[in-house]
Order: sequence, then structure tokens, then C-alpha cells
Amino acid sequence: MLPRKPALFSSRNALLAGFGGLLILLVLSGVDSVQVLSSMRKSNEAIRREFLERAARLERIRTAVYLSGTYARDYLLEPEPERAEQHRAALNETRREIEAELAAYEGATHGEDRAALEALQKELADYWRSLDPIFAWNFRERREQGYRFFREQVFPRRMEMLTIADRIAAVNARELTAGDRKLSQMFANMRGRLLIVFAVTLLLGIMQAAVSIRQTLRLERAAARHLEEVTRARTELKELSARLVETQESERKAISRELHDAVGQSLSAVLFELRNLAAALPPDPALKSHLETTRRLVESSVSMVRNMALLLRPSMLDDLGLLPALEWQARDVSRRTGMLVNVAAGELPDDLPEEHKTCIFRVVQEALNNIAKHAEARTVRISLNRERDHLLLAVQDDGKGFRVGEQKGLGLIGINERVENLHGRVRVESEPGRGALLEIRLPLAETPAAARTL
Amino acid sequence: MSIRVLVADDHTMIRSGLRMLLEREPGFEVVAEASDGRQAIELAESLKPDVAVLDIGMPNLNGIEATRHIVQKLPRTRVVVLSMHADESYVLRALKSGARGYLLKDSAESDILNSIRAVNEGKAYFSPEISKMLAEDYMRQMQQRGVEDSYELLTAREREILQMLAEGRSNKEISSALNLSLYTVETHRSNILQKLNLHSLPELILYAVRKGIIS
Repeated sequence: MLPRKPALFSSRNALLAGFGGLLILLVLSGVDSVQVLSSMRKSNEAIRREFLERAARLERIRTAVYLSGTYARDYLLEPEPERAEQHRAALNETRREIEAELAAYEGATHGEDRAALEALQKELADYWRSLDPIFAWNFRERREQGYRFFREQVFPRRMEMLTIADRIAAVNARELTAGDRKLSQMFANMRGRLLIVFAVTLLLGIMQAAVSIRQTLRLERAAARHLEEVTRARTELKELSARLVETQESERKAISRELHDAVGQSLSAVLFELRNLAAALPPDPALKSHLETTRRLVESSVSMVRNMALLLRPSMLDDLGLLPALEWQARDVSRRTGMLVNVAAGELPDDLPEEHKTCIFRVVQEALNNIAKHAEARTVRISLNRERDHLLLAVQDDGKGFRVGEQKGLGLIGINERVENLHGRVRVESEPGRGALLEIRLPLAETPAAARTL
Repeated sequence: MSIRVLVADDHTMIRSGLRMLLEREPGFEVVAEASDGRQAIELAESLKPDVAVLDIGMPNLNGIEATRHIVQKLPRTRVVVLSMHADESYVLRALKSGARGYLLKDSAESDILNSIRAVNEGKAYFSPEISKMLAEDYMRQMQQRGVEDSYELLTAREREILQMLAEGRSNKEISSALNLSLYTVETHRSNILQKLNLHSLPELILYAVRKGIIS
């Protein structure tokens, strides 16, 4: 378990890095898109605004050119010198206005229409120059030559200027289109970047998903393996405990039998020999007393051996069966504690399996021990019955009782373990002051082992 | 005329010890030794001893089964069970198989001799330790239960007959001893069993030991 920990940590780091990277990518591409979009909107506005501004200036130049023609004509036709001067002043005003607008236009342009602008400026200079002679004329000269001068000099130049202004307007329009193209270029760039970001994100996402899925599956498998191991360990533990109980029981049985048959019988044989010795020896009081002491010692040894054997495993359980063993146990406890212990049994199967006999006997033994130690009972009733395919054991006492669940002594744990080994169930029912009932339900095996009874 | 005894025990030392003990005493004759239950039956059938002293825990066939066979086939042979087990359950089992004596192997010499003499006369006999234990258990139970002893329900005649039955007398012997008809004795007998809630002669004998009517 321990060496697996670093792997878990590194997988956490990988997951963090993966998902973090994906998130950062998404955020960056979002920020980038927003920025590009806003700059596109701004430059789109600027392009439109500049276009309109230039178009307006051009329009004003065009109007001023027209007006200058009108002022020049009015100057030529005006008979009053004072008024004529006014027209000339207006003409000069218009000329300044045009020059100012042209300068402003030149500042606002991006240079594509510079050639047309220079042509316009040259044409304008020619225009103004062509007008110069009329200011030297007197009234008569103005009236005689005026119209012809206009027709031959001013009109064609004005027309030429207007044509140039149209060309500039066309260039202006082209500039607008160029701006639009720039915008679509920006848009295309952004789309390309977005596509790349999307592709990278998708790729990373797929990789991340693959890694995550693999990791999750690995963890799942590890968890399943772990669960299996734990389950197996628990089963093994249970089997081990069952085997332990079994081994303990068979050892007790062997030792009990050995004590009884070998040691007990030998001591009995010694007793017979002592009796024969007593008969063969001369009647000496000292000898007789020694023999008597020895006999007593051997006799008490015999009863000690007998009690030890019973304590380990009563021979009735194997020689006579479960019920005689339970009855002996009841008598024995009754003798030692003064409680009245009653055993009532219904019809029991003759071929009760060995482990069932042992289990019931040990459970009763443990229960009686517990009652004798804690319950302060006067009477204990033990009943054992067969209920279809179950053995039902009940041990009921009239002692001081206890709160179920609060008391979980070693005795009850041992009982539980023995009963669970045979797939049985334990039920305890008690209340303070109302005695206690221990109920065991033990399923009968399908193929019972042959029981050895007398 | 001495009592002819068969001794059966898988322990050689015990067999020879018992044989020496009996042969030292006038009036006893060990006619055979068997080391297991089957051999005991065979020897008993061929030699027809007066008394068979059988150990409970023997190989091949245990003492209880051997007793059942011998009592069934040889009605004149009485059986004493010689055992290491000092518990009521073994005593009852021995009585039910037909034995009339129950001896512990660590009993005193006199008890061994007395038991063989008693069963030879048709009486029941138990080691004093056993009788004492049975009586004490019974007394304690009566005390704990706080119930009336059913012995009080018996009439004087019934008590008399109970004792004779427990001592191993047959209905016929009782009828002639008490000058009663066989039918009357049988009626008394079933009344006794019913009043004491007993079901067989072995149980009656055990009851008598518990009550101290016989020892």
C-alpha cells in the first residue's frame, strides 16, 4: 500500500496540470478574441470616420471651386467698383478656404491619392494664375473680354479641377475598400488563431481525457484488487479462526482422552498393585500407614485427572452424545454455584455433526460461565430443539440482566465466533432486572459427519 | 461354591491386578480375561460366568455394547461395569444396557468384592462415591425446585415393592415374598413408575440410589 502513494500524488499533479493548462488556454484565447474584436471595431470606426471627413472636405473644395467661378464672374460683371472689390475679396476668401481645406485633406490622407492631390494643387495654381490678369483690367476691358476669358480660360480649368476632385473621391473610396480589406485580414488572422487555439485545446483535452480515463481505470482496478485482497484476507482470517477452534478442540479431545485412558488407567492399575502389595506384605503398622498414604495420593490423583479431563472436554460428548454432556454440565454448574440448571431437549437428530455438538456444548458452557460470573441468577433453563433444518438453542436465566449492546464480553465474542463458523445466528435479549435470553440458531449441514456415540 | 468371574479390560495391568485381588479372596474364581468387548462376549458365551466385570472404554466393542449382548444372550450372567467415569450419564447408560453394578476403578477393595457378590445375588450395586453423588444431586435439585418429593405419594406397600424392585428382585420373587398375586405386583409396579414419573427399571434403580433406598 505504501509504495503506491507517490503514484497517486503524481497523478494528482498531472491532472491538475492538464486541466489547469486547458483552462488557461481557453481563458487566453477568449481574452485574445475579445481584444481583436474590440480593436477591429475601433479601426472600422476610424476608417469610416476618416472616409467621411475626407469626402466632406473634397465636397467643400468642390463647392468652393464653383463659388470662386461665380465670384470671378460677378467681379467681371460688376459695374460698381466698390461692389467689385467686395467680390474680389470674396474670391480671395474662397481661395484661402480652398487652400486650407487642401492642406487639411493632405494631412488626413494616407498617401495613395497624393499624385491626384498634387495634380489638383498644380491645376489650382494654374487656375489662380489664369485669373490674375483680370484684376489688372479696367471696367471696359472686363466687359469686352470677360466672357471670352471665362469660356476659354476659367471654365476648362475649373472642369479640369473638378475631374481631379472626382479622381480624389475615387481614391478616397478605394481607401475605404482597403480599410475593409485590412479589417477582413484582421478577422481572418483572428479566425486562424482561434482555430489553432481550438485545435490545440481539443488535442490537449483529448490527451487529458485519455490520461484521466486511464488513471481512473487504473485506480478502479487497484481498488477492486484491494477489495478482493481485503475480502480474501477476511475469509482467510475466518477460516483460520475456525481452524484454530477446530484444532484447539481436537487437541483438547486428544489430551482429555489421553489423561483419561492412559494416565487414569495407569493410576488405577497402580491402585490395584498397591492393594496386592498390601496383601503380600507382613502386617507392619509403619508399612501399612505408608501404603495408606500412597493409596490416598494415587486416589486423589485419579480424581484430579478425571476433573482435568472433564474440564478439557467431557468424555460424554464423544461417548454418549450432546444431551448427556449438557446434562452433566448442568449438574456440574449446579454443584459448583447452587443455581438450578435445567436442560430440556426435544427430538435431536442421531447423526448430529461433530462440530455442531461441540459448538452447542461450548456455547452452553460459555453462557453458563457468564451467568455464574455476572448474572446472580437462581435458575437457568436450557432448551435445545430441532426446527426443520435448524438447531435452536435457548439459554434463559432469571438474573439481573443487562442492556443489550452495552455488554460485549469476551464470552459473547467467543460464542459469536463459534456460531458464525457454522453459519449460525446469535440473538441476545435482556433488560436490566429482567434476566437474559441467549438464542442460537444453527443450520444443520446437508451431509453430517458420522457421530461416534455409545 | 465360588463366584465365577470374567474380567474384561484393555489394560493388562488392571486385568492382572483385578485377577490377583479376586483370587486372593476365597469365594471368587477368575475364569477368563478379555482385552476387548468382542472377546468378552465370546468368552462369556463359551464359559458362562456368574459375573462379568467390564470396562467401558474398550476397543472393538465398548463395555456398554458388550453388556447389552451378554445380558441378552446369558440371562444368568450379571454384569458389573468397571469405569473411570464418575457421572450419572454413564451410570444410567450402563443400567439401561443391563448392567446392575457400577464401580469406579479407584474404588476400595471391599467395594469391588461387595459389588460382585451383590450382583451375583441379583442386587444392584454402586460405588459409594457414585451413590453419594447421585443422592446429593437429587437432594439439591429437590431443594432448588422447592417441590414436594414425589416419594411422599407412594403408599407403604409401594415403597416396599420399590425397594425390592431396585434391589433386582423379579415380579415373581416379590409376589411370593409378600404373598401377593403376580397381577397385583405388576399393578403396583406400574403405579410406582407413574407416580415417580419414571419409565423403566434402570430409571427406577437410579431413583432408588438417589433416594438412598439402596446403595
